[in-house]
Amino acid sequence: MAGVVAAPAGQAGLAAAPARGLPADSTPWLLLAPATLALVILFLLPIGYVLLLSVTDPAVSIAHYRRIFSVPLYTRVLFNTFTTALTVTGVCLLLGYPVAYVMARRSDWVSTALLICVAVCFWTGFIVRTYAWLVILGNKGPVVAVYQAFGFGAPPRLLFTTFSSILGMVHILLPYMVLALYSVMKKIDPNLLRASASLGARPAASFRAVYLPLTLPGVVNGSILVFTICLGFFITPILLGTPKDMMISQLINQQIEELLAWGFASAVAVVLLVATSIVLAVYNRFAGLDRLWG
Amino acid sequence: MKSPRSRSQLSRRRMLATAAGAASALALPGGPVLGQTRTVYVNTWGGSWTAAEDTAYFKPFTQATGIQVRTVAPVSFAKLKAQVQTGQYEWDASGLGIVEYSQAVHENLLEPVDFSIIDRNAVPAANIKSHGVSSVTLSTCLVYRKDKFPNGGPQSWADFWDVKKFPGKRCLYDRSFTTLAFALLADGVPADKLYPLDLDRAFKKLDEIKPHIKVWWSQGAQSQQLIQDGEVDMIAMWNARAQELIDRGEPLEIAWNGAEIYTSFRFVPRGNPRAKLAWEYLKFISEPKQEAAFCSILPYGPNNPKSFDHIAPDVAAKLPTRPDRVKVAHQPDAEWLAPRLAGIRERFAQWLAT
Repeated sequence: MAGVVAAPAGQAGLAAAPARGLPADSTPWLLLAPATLALVILFLLPIGYVLLLSVTDPAVSIAHYRRIFSVPLYTRVLFNTFTTALTVTGVCLLLGYPVAYVMARRSDWVSTALLICVAVCFWTGFIVRTYAWLVILGNKGPVVAVYQAFGFGAPPRLLFTTFSSILGMVHILLPYMVLALYSVMKKIDPNLLRASASLGARPAASFRAVYLPLTLPGVVNGSILVFTICLGFFITPILLGTPKDMMISQLINQQIEELLAWGFASAVAVVLLVATSIVLAVYNRFAGLDRLWG
Repeated sequence: MKSPRSRSQLSRRRMLATAAGAASALALPGGPVLGQTRTVYVNTWGGSWTAAEDTAYFKPFTQATGIQVRTVAPVSFAKLKAQVQTGQYEWDASGLGIVEYSQAVHENLLEPVDFSIIDRNAVPAANIKSHGVSSVTLSTCLVYRKDKFPNGGPQSWADFWDVKKFPGKRCLYDRSFTTLAFALLADGVPADKLYPLDLDRAFKKLDEIKPHIKVWWSQGAQSQQLIQDGEVDMIAMWNARAQELIDRGEPLEIAWNGAEIYTSFRFVPRGNPRAKLAWEYLKFISEPKQEAAFCSILPYGPNNPKSFDHIAPDVAAKLPTRPDRVKVAHQPDAEWLAPRLAGIRERFAQWLAT
């Protein structure tokens, strides 16, 4: 995208460039330099430093990596992190798609009300929302009260289960999914659906053949956003889940904050980064990440 | 073209005038005093903790010495390492639990105590270590809901493990060494023989109670919420957090027997250029009067027995370091733990996750 912006500007600068003794076609690169520099300083250097720490702190060795793959804890938690992130992404997609659909297709108060609900949810701190679930699902909360009012007896165990942990994370990440889908759906020309109907397609067929494919960029965008944010979660599973729901970031945090083992923490972070890249590469192979940009 | 240019000149001129005004203000009689202001940056937890420090430490210190105190929150162990590694100091004094303190000494992150300022004879020998002076003490103790156990609740870790005699939902602290020591106490190991920890024996005992632990807590606020809402009936939690709930009227009882005493130490990060000021500050707040003032606001235990002379009996009744409570409590052997903690933590996390 930066290239597209840079090209016309580069042409405009053509007259000045030779005067300074620079080859004409270096101007676009000069214009790209600030963005490249920012990327290098903000992303590549820190990641490079983490990579370096993982094999040099406290001594030059690959012992950290050997430990990650020999102690069952780390591979197990890593695996759990990915399955959890996948589950959360799937549930967010299932719940978010209809909401975004209604928001995009209607232009009355329903759409506005939904948008306000999603935005308020989005702006409320995630710690607050996590503690809210502790109250809602808790012993003195409304769910248990309703259950007992109807005389169903002892309520099922809701809190401190994998279910409540997933529920909490879905609640926090759902707005990301809805907004990603909404931004794409809003741009779909309603005439396309009318056209397919006029050609004899039933609503279901018209949705499947016209609408759904057009929303795929939103699906891909939202899914990747939710998936990658979810990989970094750990407070919500700690507060709502069981120790079995531990996420890898919790272990990284422990290593940094409790044990000052930055080398080992870096190694775990690198493994997480590589694993995430592999997942995205596989995804790209089948779905195509370029759809992100529509 | 002309008007924007003249406008920009105007603003430049105004800016210069403002700067000159500020400079002359500095040079006026107030100036030299400003130049001499000495400030110490103290790392703190924020919230009620900082408020208590303000009353008990900061204000009296500034009054007595003229040295200003600025605070930086929250306390972060990792930040200590980052500061020493980079030589950029955000704060000059902080405090950490005895185990973290020993880890920090092990990693060579702390300035040795400046004995030209800290007086060895003014405080008990146990309150001064090579790189720090003791701060207040927090206990992790067995707390239960009185309404669940009207005929008397669990009084020891053996009782906590006895699910037949004391049925109910249980909660333990996700801090490896604390919970391992409780398991050993429950298994009949005497309090003075806990360290070095017999890990195999402790994990075997923990296996027994694991199915009865409804939840493991790691955040202080979480532990309060769990016992307050009756999610659990008994819990291993910090005395100050439990006391806060009791003062609010929650039907809780603290069983002091078998508590883990966890003393904090205050220190100066290695290489800090304002170390002298920081030690002045630490000397001042270690005095019994200041310690007593802090512990009268928040129910943390003073480490200097003389501090109790300045504390009202009804306040002392809440504190974990009252002599009769110290007798039935134990302390972690931080020097033994520091080099082994990474391994113990890993084993504990793996045990929890399976």
